[in-house]
Amino acid sequence: MRSTLKNPYVYMLFVLPTIVLYFLFFIYPMLTSVFYGFTNWNGLDTKDFIGFDNFVAAFKDADFRNSILNNLYILLFSCCIQVPLIIVFSLLISSVKRFQGFYKTTVFMPSILSTSVIGILWGYIYDSDVGLLNNILKIFGIDPIYWLADTKWALFSILVTNAWQWMGFYIVLILAAILAIPKDIDEAAMIDGATGVQRAWYLTVPLIKPIINVVIMLSIAGALRVVDIVLVMTGGGPAGATDVMASYMVNKAIKYGDYGYGTALSIIIFIFALILTALYQILIVRRQERVEY
Amino acid sequence: MAASIRRSIPHVVMLAYVVVILVPFLFVLLSSFKENNTEIALHPFGLPKSWEFGNYKEAWIKAKINVYFFNSLYLALTSAVAGVLLSAMTAYALTRMRFNRASSWIYQFVLIGMLIPGNVLFIAQYLLVQKLGILDTHWSLFLPYTAGALPFSVLLICAFMRAIPFELEEAAVVDGMGVFRMFFRIILPLTVPALVTVFIVNFLGNWNEYLLSFFFISKDALRTLPSGMVQFRDAFQLNYALVCTGIVFSVLPVLVMYAFLQRKIIEGLTAGSIKG
Repeated sequence: MRSTLKNPYVYMLFVLPTIVLYFLFFIYPMLTSVFYGFTNWNGLDTKDFIGFDNFVAAFKDADFRNSILNNLYILLFSCCIQVPLIIVFSLLISSVKRFQGFYKTTVFMPSILSTSVIGILWGYIYDSDVGLLNNILKIFGIDPIYWLADTKWALFSILVTNAWQWMGFYIVLILAAILAIPKDIDEAAMIDGATGVQRAWYLTVPLIKPIINVVIMLSIAGALRVVDIVLVMTGGGPAGATDVMASYMVNKAIKYGDYGYGTALSIIIFIFALILTALYQILIVRRQERVEY
Repeated sequence: MAASIRRSIPHVVMLAYVVVILVPFLFVLLSSFKENNTEIALHPFGLPKSWEFGNYKEAWIKAKINVYFFNSLYLALTSAVAGVLLSAMTAYALTRMRFNRASSWIYQFVLIGMLIPGNVLFIAQYLLVQKLGILDTHWSLFLPYTAGALPFSVLLICAFMRAIPFELEEAAVVDGMGVFRMFFRIILPLTVPALVTVFIVNFLGNWNEYLLSFFFISKDALRTLPSGMVQFRDAFQLNYALVCTGIVFSVLPVLVMYAFLQRKIIEGLTAGSIKG
């Protein structure tokens, strides 16, 4: 009995391929990132250790500071505008019986598609001449807007596309939590004469706070991860108006071969993600009591 | 009366949302059958004057969408299968074999991977595949795709395998069954639901992946759909009808899959995010 399931060679055989691959593509890159981040390597010359110079340079780099700011806008947009909307939509879906499944599958659909293809699709919708949006505006007699080429509109356009793609995903997450609440709580409130809005606000929302926290955490992480859509739709332009940290990093490293500086930027992104999620955990999540039905 | 109006408010709002989701697809679908940009500009919302099915043929062959399509298909399939197989083997060893101390260490070690946001490792992975000499080959995507799926897959399959009663294997051992047959004949068949979930999540992730496929591959013949499509758009910028056909080609397989497996897909993707 023992020997069959205690054969170390078989164990190794089963575990080793995973560990090797995992080490090679997760752990090793992580270690080299930390190493490269402190060098001035540009792919050609020698790697010189330059201490914290890259990090100092990054915060002096006006373009990078600008991209941090753009990440911040994305973060604020998703936490302050998207999340409330997501909660409202999930409450609405949960309140209906007919078509509930249809709404759920439809709103979820964009999140299973490739971000790059969605970027192309929306790039077409935003097109100044033939795009859907300007065609609609034309009906109302509004002049065409250069959505992606105008510094005033470019970031907003990308934010809308991003929201269009991901809101349904979070709606489904919250919807599942709402539907898991025992029905009798709601029924008791209904018998006591609470209206639908009252029940939603005073009963359902407090009960789903934990999942709302998860959604906010995911939104924070997501806001720092945004990159595909920027690279596909604008490449960071016009004039850096849509550059985010990750797109700036990718361009620095691949276009200009600034690997040392690029990896320093990626470490900064990682640290931002750690700090923001930790802050949120400490300030908001810890203070709340656990929900029990 | 008032009650019925109030009851229909959620439907009105949700239908508006559904329209916002679906209209872009409809616009793309209609445009893909139109002759050229002039026709799109003149009749943006109308049906095409003549249904140009030729667009599809042209995009498929002349614009090499077929090449991108099959590259995507086989890369997404092979790395999803490899990921499922590797993580199932690992999960089996970790949960069923009697090396508890080592197993819990390995499990923790692999889970660290879920904390690292994907694009943080991008440059280091680029330099790694360059060093391995596989830049500009499909290996440079197959290996990171397979590896990238491991933490989540191991986590999910482990959770599933732990729930299988140990008596099953004890009986099998008494009957003289070896480890391999036990794995393939007893445990794997029982784990199929988790394997399917993991497979779908990995397949979709690989099918949609853009960043690596765009920067690790520069030979046009090796590109996958997401990166090939961007290339294609930049080349045919002026012909939106053709770009729209490309979009249809890359979106349709996923939507068909979604139509059949929606419950499994939703369950898998949401599980991946919450645990991650």
